[in-house]
Amino acid sequence: MSEFLSFVLQNVPWGCTFALVAVGLVLTYRATGVFNFGFGAEAYAAGVIYAELYWHGVDRLWAAILVVFVIAPAFGALLDWGLFSRIPPGNSMAKIVTSLGVMVVLPSVVQVFVGATNVSAPPAPLFNEYAPVWHIGSGSLYVSGPEMTTMLATTMVLALLMCALRSRRFGLPMRAAVESPRLLELMGVNATRVLRGSWMLATVLAGLAGVLFAPTETPVSANNYSVILVAAIAAAALGALRSLPLAVLGGVALGVVQGVVQGYVASDSVWYQALVPSLPFFILLVLLLVHPGMRRLEGRNDPMSAVEPPAPPPALALRPPHINRVIHRFRWLVLGTLTLVVITFTPGPWIAALTIGASLSVIFLSITLITGLAGQLSLAQAAFAGVGAATTAQLAVNENVPVLIAAVAGAVVAGLGGWVASLPALRLRGLPVTLLTLCLALLADNLIFPTSWIGGGENGLNVPRPHIFGIDFTAVDSKAFLLLVLAVLLATSGVVHVLLRGTTGRALSAVHVSPIGAASSGVSVRRLTMFVFFLSAAIAGIGGALFAMSYLQESPSSFNWFFGPTFLVIVVTVGATTVEGAIEAGLGYALITQALTYLPSTVSTNTNATQGALTVLILSFGAFTYATHPEGIVEALKRSFARTVFRAVPANPAERRKRHIS
Amino acid sequence: MSHLLEVNDVSKSFGGHAVVRHVSFVLDAGTSIGLVGSNGAGKTTLFRCVAGELPVDSGSILLDGQSLPSRPDARARRGIARTFQIVELFGGQTVLDHVLVALQAHQGRQGPWRDLVHGGRTTSDERDTCMEVLDLVGLADRADTPATTLSLGDRRAVELARALIGRPRLLLADEPSSGLDGEESRVLIRILNRVRQDTGVAVILVDHDLGTVKAVADNVIAMDAGAIIATGSYESVVSNPLVMASWLGQSS
Repeated sequence: MSEFLSFVLQNVPWGCTFALVAVGLVLTYRATGVFNFGFGAEAYAAGVIYAELYWHGVDRLWAAILVVFVIAPAFGALLDWGLFSRIPPGNSMAKIVTSLGVMVVLPSVVQVFVGATNVSAPPAPLFNEYAPVWHIGSGSLYVSGPEMTTMLATTMVLALLMCALRSRRFGLPMRAAVESPRLLELMGVNATRVLRGSWMLATVLAGLAGVLFAPTETPVSANNYSVILVAAIAAAALGALRSLPLAVLGGVALGVVQGVVQGYVASDSVWYQALVPSLPFFILLVLLLVHPGMRRLEGRNDPMSAVEPPAPPPALALRPPHINRVIHRFRWLVLGTLTLVVITFTPGPWIAALTIGASLSVIFLSITLITGLAGQLSLAQAAFAGVGAATTAQLAVNENVPVLIAAVAGAVVAGLGGWVASLPALRLRGLPVTLLTLCLALLADNLIFPTSWIGGGENGLNVPRPHIFGIDFTAVDSKAFLLLVLAVLLATSGVVHVLLRGTTGRALSAVHVSPIGAASSGVSVRRLTMFVFFLSAAIAGIGGALFAMSYLQESPSSFNWFFGPTFLVIVVTVGATTVEGAIEAGLGYALITQALTYLPSTVSTNTNATQGALTVLILSFGAFTYATHPEGIVEALKRSFARTVFRAVPANPAERRKRHIS
Repeated sequence: MSHLLEVNDVSKSFGGHAVVRHVSFVLDAGTSIGLVGSNGAGKTTLFRCVAGELPVDSGSILLDGQSLPSRPDARARRGIARTFQIVELFGGQTVLDHVLVALQAHQGRQGPWRDLVHGGRTTSDERDTCMEVLDLVGLADRADTPATTLSLGDRRAVELARALIGRPRLLLADEPSSGLDGEESRVLIRILNRVRQDTGVAVILVDHDLGTVKAVADNVIAMDAGAIIATGSYESVVSNPLVMASWLGQSS
């Protein structure tokens, strides 16, 4: 048998794993209208539960059955009941944010309860170990039991789903419920039950993928499931997230191509290390740019969306004007006094935490700009922060450029990266932009940051702090450096605030809601889109530079791709539409993490990773309320507080608006 | 002297299916044309070609004898404004905000530099200009109302104000009476005629309501299967045998 053929045949089972997840993604998208970024996390959770059950003495087959057919569908029903059924059908942004919330929160939940690296791989649910069950050709090549199980499962799932989706009894109501559940209910069908069934079916597939993949690598890690998820997205994109056979074909082809490239490229070459893991991202990027079906994934418009109630007024509008005037008049005094008190009396570790929090706030302001203002869900903001950090470190360490000038250069380079990203984004809208930025973040993580002349190699670079006017900023808990970071945060907040309330904010909001209406009004959609990508990436870049200076270090993993969705979910949770939201999110993250270090040391799970996971968990839960509170949970709490305290709520929207202006 | 708008031998097809076929007509400043025809006749596609939302396959569209930029925002700034059959408003913005966005775009006063220099504030001149146009369409007293809370007729008036704020030379009105009741349609016709009289804007009107077309348009163009089948005054077009055959399915 030829070498090429053996590479192909060896990797078909691996491709089937991609295919199975791709089928799950396509099914979820077609049957629920949600592109489920949380699919990998659900599969990971299923894998961990399966492993835990096995290691606690449950028979592997029964453990698998319990996970796939009991726990997974119950979780699917819970997801629908608690989250997705509460999102209005036409609100595609809320669907994406909520599924990103699942993607970020679920692994954190697992890590908090089970520990980050504690789960060893269990054996496969069927067959003994990796004994061959089918010899190919002369016998040197064989398919193992678990591989055969994956291939059979993929084939059966594909056949069953194709029949089900085409059937009038199951498929038709499923598709109709996605388009408009309310119209379906007018025809006497219980749309809630149909959608809940779809979610249960989708999570059964996630559970199946999780159980089948868990035995392949030890420990069972969320990162491995994320890699499969992204490859599966590329496979599903081949059929524009709608065709099940094309998703399977794409998955198998991707596995085979990766295997063939692995087989022919020397394992110690740069190509092997860079190209092989990046192949799915390249393919997804190309499909996003050239596949007409992917460009049209704008989300659906529910014909009955006009019956949605109008958005509630902001908390600011509920406060009596004289209270607003007092706040407006004395805010600088209060802020200045507060800063002075904090700087004077805060102990060292909390100063360091505040410094990190303030630099994170700068990065988060970039999300306020691109998501809160322009309505684009970008998962690449952490990558742009990484570009800013890496450029600053390289210029300051290797070229002896003063570190503050290097940070400005870092911001410009990151901004240019954002501008380049805006060029393909000009042709896309909604989910494709999110997928595009995910691709860019993954490419940066796999191709750009590991390069030693960019990311500084395995150990990274020691980033210096500035030395100006004879002031020493170098101590980890330097109060002077905190003041410097706060000054940058204040300046950046000022810029974002002015843009939010000015002509740019008004025009960007118009472009976000109705690009065609904005263009017909003379608004240059193209120029504004390029500008907002440039500026938000530049702000992320300068935040990344400050972040690296805060830690006195920059490494290729400082801003890995998963930070992108995590940052987005945290900011959206706290409030993506206001400057205060970004500041509260950044400081909140750092302060909660610092507070968690005081947990008793007897708590076995009190490690850095668990503290990080717990912080993400605390801050990200609000993403699940995005559908009802797109302004952020903190803003919603403020509104509820204002309603309780000030009681009288103006009923007339015009009156509320006048109050807001005054 | 050149015409305001010249549409020369324009064709457009989708996937091999010809939707607009060799259409030519001219429009002079201050005049109006009503485009009529059954669904699928190619009216809206022709409309979108003129607005720059769709590129033409062949032929040319000239404004004042000059070719037009390809993008719709650039065409809007050159003086081609439009309203939509399904109203396109900016959710969350007030009536005044809608008009301000368009005014600042037309005056080149939109963007980060202006915000950073002027603190993003609206000037009293800008507000006054907007209020003049809102007064013209009868919405001056609702300037601070969120636009999406208005009735359909008022929402159409917001679109009209947004289109007029840039002092366009050509207004493309896409089925303005769609979804309106008799009284609302009459109000809209009054506003359109007042706008024409006060600003001298030329209008291309697409509408299924022949009463609106008759009340607003100086001349009528009837289309069928992507081609022009009759042009002239309202009376001559509606009595044209080809038009009657097209609308009523009668043999000419």
